Amino acid sequence: MHNEQRLIRCFQAVFPDLTETDVARASVSRLAAWDSVATVTLAASVEEEFGIQFEADEIEKMNSFQSFLKYVATRSGA
Amino acid sequence: MKLIESLQIANARQEGPLFRVLLACGFTPLHLQTAVKAHLRLGLPTRSIEVRTGVYGDLGGTLENATEPLDAALVVLEWGDLDPRLSWRSPGKVSGEVISDARVRLNRIEKAVAILAERTIVAVSLPTLPMAPVLHTRSGELQSVEAALLEMLYGLAASTRAVVLHPKTFRQGSEHDLRSEMMNGFPYSFSHADALAAGLVRFVLPPAPKKGLITDLDQTLWGGILGDDGQEGISWDLDHKTGFHGVYQQLLNVLADAGILLGVASKNDAGLVYNALARPDLVVEPRHLFPIEAHWRPKPESVERILEAWNVGPDSVVFVDDNPLELAQVKAAFPAMECLEFHKDDPGFLLELRDRFGKREIREEDKLRVASLRNGQVVRQAVDNATLDSLLAGAEATVIFRWGKQPPDPRALELINKTNQFNLNGVRYTQAEWNAYLSDRATHLVVVEYEDRFGKLGKIAALAGRERGEGFELDVWVMSCRAFSRRIEHQCVKLLLGRWESLQLMYERTERNAPMMDFLADAAPGCREIRRASFNRWCPQLFHKTESINA
Repeated sequence: MHNEQRLIRCFQAVFPDLTETDVARASVSRLAAWDSVATVTLAASVEEEFGIQFEADEIEKMNSFQSFLKYVATRSGA
Repeated sequence: MKLIESLQIANARQEGPLFRVLLACGFTPLHLQTAVKAHLRLGLPTRSIEVRTGVYGDLGGTLENATEPLDAALVVLEWGDLDPRLSWRSPGKVSGEVISDARVRLNRIEKAVAILAERTIVAVSLPTLPMAPVLHTRSGELQSVEAALLEMLYGLAASTRAVVLHPKTFRQGSEHDLRSEMMNGFPYSFSHADALAAGLVRFVLPPAPKKGLITDLDQTLWGGILGDDGQEGISWDLDHKTGFHGVYQQLLNVLADAGILLGVASKNDAGLVYNALARPDLVVEPRHLFPIEAHWRPKPESVERILEAWNVGPDSVVFVDDNPLELAQVKAAFPAMECLEFHKDDPGFLLELRDRFGKREIREEDKLRVASLRNGQVVRQAVDNATLDSLLAGAEATVIFRWGKQPPDPRALELINKTNQFNLNGVRYTQAEWNAYLSDRATHLVVVEYEDRFGKLGKIAALAGRERGEGFELDVWVMSCRAFSRRIEHQCVKLLLGRWESLQLMYERTERNAPMMDFLADAAPGCREIRRASFNRWCPQLFHKTESINA
């Protein structure tokens, strides 16, 4: 499975009502349900899915699906 | 379970009546809350699960403020709840006063748990993480402050009505996620949170314990082959290196004392078996073994007869044998039965076997079960040889009706949640639902006790319902199958119709309540109502002495 699909799965586990299209556009500013708990939960599920670990200051920068996708691409070398 | 699976299960759409759980902990509940919800949803697929949490750093306050209706409460203690100085997030200098401070906090928690446990099921886990390195001794040494704190925690475990998870269950070395604790206040790795959630939920929704164990004899109950070695050649002791069989026999005693039925299915000469079981050094008490099927016919036939004598389904029974072929034959005949190969010298085998029957409390009725089954057989044989009327007339039976619901007799809920055959509608209740039901002023509860010259059956039936004008709406009526054929059910109806003009029956057909349906087919055509006048015309002669006691 591509990184993007795997990441969509993580997002849909945390935000079950989002479609794939919604997920691709998801960000803290566009999604009311995206609070600090959601950020931590997303980060933990992404860490588990991709076998990576965020630094504390990196998690704070993860404020959209695209930022997660970019980070995962960098860390997994894809 | 992985976090993503847990999230998918916990966040999926849910329907059904609400099942409310308090997750009380002093840390950020985060993934533990998700894991608890996921495990509850797996265990209760027809309910909507709500997991409430409390205030960070105030476990005592969270418990004290939990005044809303709850179906269960899960209390997760960590060292910081005893004193923040013991936690990794805010470690501090530890001196002797930490013990007295911790005692105050723990007393508060203990008191709040005791109050909660009176109205709902409460499961508690003791600290599962290592204490912060605030003590000067090395890890391997149990320092006096830590020992005093552990003594307090174990004191709570010894005195509380709540279920306490054994802390040894969670010592694997990968429990702590310090990075997460520092960043988010959530101290567990997800695998640990998941294991802890599964353990807690297992106590809230315990699997139904098995009711009976059928054991083989040769190379199982004892070492050796009775037919070859003779009754003096078989053994279960250390001298013959067969001590494991002695431990197995002792486990059978423990199970029997807890009300588990023990039967024997052995391909053997019956005379030899009875002589062997009469050996004075036998560890298992022979009175616990009933029935004993010792002959050369196929094992499935023996198992079938044992199930018939016990009147339980194969799914409630474990069959233990050392012979894989016999196990396969029994499994083929009874697919729902758990068939286990006897593993000599494997302590895990005995521990896991014990866990299949595990129950928290042993009641008077548990101790009476085997004796009453034996007596039941006597009654059935007597019925075969005489009319039921003449048998019951000479039975010297007494039926005691105990009215009262404050406090409710715990035996009533136990009967309701495990009786299948003589059950009005099969409805099960959680402790909280039962408490809520009984809290209605119009509700009446009566628990029925029985004894006759064949023996004491103990509390074998429960009825509950609500007064509706001149009538009584019967919501709950269950009776143990051990009490069949004694017209106790008739006496129950007579008792209620002595107070009310009619009974409205909340009857529902279930897969297994045919005995109830058969009774109602005669007593209440349509299974909806029994009226006093028609019952008096229909009721057969009753010979019991009765006693009605108001609590």
